[in-house]
Amino acid sequence: MKKRGRGIATIMFGFGYGEGFPDHSIASAEVEDEGKILIRTAAADVGQGVLTVITQIAAEVLKVKPEVIRIIPGDTHLTKNSGSSSATRQTFFTGNAVKKASEGLLSNIYHYASIEFRSNYVELGIKDGYIFRNDNPNNKISYWELAKRVKEKGDCLKAEASFFPHTDKPDPKTGQGEKVYVAYTFVTQVVEVEVDTDTGIVQVLNVYTTADIGKAVNPKNVEGQIEGGTVQGIGMALMEEQVVKEGITLNPDLTGYLIPTSMDTPLFTTRIVENEDSEGPFGAKGIGEPATIATAPAIANAIYDATGARICDLPITPEKILKALKEKRGDCKE
Amino acid sequence: MKKMPKEYVGKNIFKVDAYDKVTGKAIYADDIYFDDMLYIKIKRATYPHAYLRRIDISKAQKLPGVVRIITAADIPWVKNFGLIIKDQPVLVGVGQKMRYMGDALAIVIAESKEIASKAVKLIEVEVEELEIISDPLRAMEKDAPLIHQDGNILATHYLEKGDIKKGFAQADVVVENEYRTSFLDQVPLQVEAGVGVFDPETEIIKLWVATQWLHDTQADIAQSLSLPKEKIRIIQPVIGGAFGKREDISVHIHLALAAMITKKPVKLTYTREESMITQSKRHAFIVRAKTGATKEGYLTAWQVEVIGDTGAYASSGPAVVHKGMYHCTGPYNVDNVKGVAYTVYTNNTYAGAMRGFGATQMAFAYESQMDILAHKLGIDPVQFRLQNAYSIGSSTPNGQVLTHSVGVKETIKGAVDLAGWEEWKEGRL
Repeated sequence: MKKRGRGIATIMFGFGYGEGFPDHSIASAEVEDEGKILIRTAAADVGQGVLTVITQIAAEVLKVKPEVIRIIPGDTHLTKNSGSSSATRQTFFTGNAVKKASEGLLSNIYHYASIEFRSNYVELGIKDGYIFRNDNPNNKISYWELAKRVKEKGDCLKAEASFFPHTDKPDPKTGQGEKVYVAYTFVTQVVEVEVDTDTGIVQVLNVYTTADIGKAVNPKNVEGQIEGGTVQGIGMALMEEQVVKEGITLNPDLTGYLIPTSMDTPLFTTRIVENEDSEGPFGAKGIGEPATIATAPAIANAIYDATGARICDLPITPEKILKALKEKRGDCKE
Repeated sequence: MKKMPKEYVGKNIFKVDAYDKVTGKAIYADDIYFDDMLYIKIKRATYPHAYLRRIDISKAQKLPGVVRIITAADIPWVKNFGLIIKDQPVLVGVGQKMRYMGDALAIVIAESKEIASKAVKLIEVEVEELEIISDPLRAMEKDAPLIHQDGNILATHYLEKGDIKKGFAQADVVVENEYRTSFLDQVPLQVEAGVGVFDPETEIIKLWVATQWLHDTQADIAQSLSLPKEKIRIIQPVIGGAFGKREDISVHIHLALAAMITKKPVKLTYTREESMITQSKRHAFIVRAKTGATKEGYLTAWQVEVIGDTGAYASSGPAVVHKGMYHCTGPYNVDNVKGVAYTVYTNNTYAGAMRGFGATQMAFAYESQMDILAHKLGIDPVQFRLQNAYSIGSSTPNGQVLTHSVGVKETIKGAVDLAGWEEWKEGRL
C-alpha cells in the first residue's frame, strides 16, 4: 500500500570557522585597462556562485555593469588569502572584503576626480563607470580615463581590503564563549513522502523550504543551492552509504554507491526570509551548507508520519522500513 | 526599516562562469595537456593496518615506458601533511605503518597511464598484518591496538551550560535514543586530478589542481616538501563541485615530487574507486541524545554523547565532530545542556569535511528527538518547534547570545504556510 506523510525539520548552522580562528578574507579592486575593473580574490567557485556574488557586489558599489567586472582566477601568486570555500563563509567573508575593497576604490575615484574637477567630492556623482560634477553631468570622466591621469601622476587607482571579524575560542571545559560563530543561518523544510509499505521504497514528492539568509544577493542562486543541497540530503536520508567492512570499502563505485538522479528529485517550493540585519554584505548570510542539513531529518519524520516506522540510523533503506513495519516498531530501539 | 532597492544585488544575473561551462570551454585539471607529459599512478596500501616490511620495485621498473618509481626511501626529507594535525605520510616507508587502504606506498611515473597502471601491479609488497579496527567503539577500548602512537581517541571536546541534573529534574517527559549516520562520499563529478610542472630556472613548482583553499593547500605542500611557500604556485583550473572533498591534499604532493624529480610535466588523475577509497568521507556519527521537556512542551535539558569515526587520519576531524556537538539542541531554547564528543581513529577511509561539517549528522539526531517528543507530548510538531525556537536574546549551546538576524520562527511559519500544513492535517482527520 502507498502511504503519504509529511515531516518537518528546522535547523541552525553557525557559519565561518568561528571558535577564535583568525578567519578572514582579503580582496582588492582596481581600475585596469580596456574598460574593466579587476577584482583579485582567492575565493574558490565550486559551483556555488561566489564569483557571481562578488561580481554583483562590486558592480553595485562601483555603479558599473556586471560585465565590467573581471575576476582574476585563483592563483597563489596573484591573489592573497581568502580562506576556504567551506563553512558557508564566502558570501559573508569575501563578499564583505570585495564590498570594502570596492568602497575603497570608489573613495579613491572620488578623491582623484575631485582634483581633476577642481571641486569637492560632495559635488560629484557617478553612473555607469563615469564620474561627473552634479551641476554639469555632461562634463564627465570615465574611471579608465581617470586611472590614466592618476597613473601619470605616479599613483594608481586601486584599493585592497579585508574582512576579519572576531570570534571567541570556546572554553575547553564547557564549550562556552561569547561569540563562537559570526552568525547563524536558519532553515525549515517540510517534506512530503510516499512510502510503499510492500516494498519499503520511499519517493520524496514535495519539499517546501524557507531559509533565513539575511539577504539573497542572487535569489536564483540561493534557490539552486537549496535544491542541490536538498537532493544531496535525499541521498543521505535514503540511499547513500560507503560500506566499509574491516577497513575495506565494499562499494567504491557509483554502481554500488547510489546517489539521487533526476528521477529521485522532488518538486521544490522555496521562500527566502530576508531581514537584512546580518553583518554580511548588504545583510547577507550564507546558505551553502544549511541547504542540505534539514532534509534527512525531515524525511525521517515524514516516513514516521506516513507509516509509524521510526528509523534512527541512516540511510533509511527499504529493508529497514520493512523490518520496522514488520516489528510494528515506532521508536528507535532495535 | 525598508532598504533602498539595489541595481544588481538581489537580482538574478546569470552566473559568470555558466557560459564556459555549458559550452565546454571551461578547462578542468584533467583537460590540461603538455606534449612531453608523463603520467602517474599510485601504489596503494595492500592491507588496512599493517607494517610495510619490504617493497620491491625491480620488476615494475623494468617495464618499458616506466620512467621512474619513487618510494619513501628516495625522499627522506619529506614531512607528513594534514589539515589540523600533520599525521598523514606522503609515502609509507619500510618499517612504517599503513593505516588504511588509501595510504600511498609508491609513485609510479610512466609514458602512459596504461603503463603506469601495469607497473603498479608489478610492485611487490610484504606486510606484517595488525588487528584491523573498523569500529570506533572497538578503537576506544583500553586493549585496542594503537593506530597512532598518542592513542585512538584523537580529540575529546566538552559542552556544559546550566545544570543538567536540575534540567532533567524539571522534565515531565524524557526521551533517550541512539542515532547513527553513515560514511558518505561527496561525489563531485570530477575526480581528483592535477598537472604539475617544475621550472628549473625559478625552481617554482606550478600545480594545476582544484582546491577549496588555495593558500592553505600551498602552505601544507610547502611545509611537507620543506620549500618556501613562493616555490609552490597553485593555479586553479575550473573546480566543479567540491562539497568539502577538495580541502584535503590529494594529488598535490605526489605531483610536485614527480615534477621535481623527472623535470617533466606530470599528470595524475584518480579513478572513481581510488577517489572513494583514498579521499575524505563524511564522518559516520553515533549520537546518544537525551532530551527532557515539561508536559506543556518546553525543553528543559539536552544531553549528548557523540562519537565520530574519523578513520585513519585526522583531516578536519577534530573540528567536525565537536562542531556537530555545538549544534546539539538545534535552534531551540534549552537552559541546561551537557555534551561530550570523541573524535576517534580507525582503519577506515579518513573522514573530513563535507557540507554541514558535523552539524548535518547532528540535525538528524535533534530533529528526530524533537519529533519523537512532540508525539509523546501530544503537541503538534510545528507548535512544539515554534514555542521552543530561538528569538533575539536566545543563547546557543555555546552560550552565545544571539543579538541579531534570528529568523527561525519566520522560517517555521513560512515553510508551514508554503506546504499548507494546517489544511493537510485537516484533510487527514
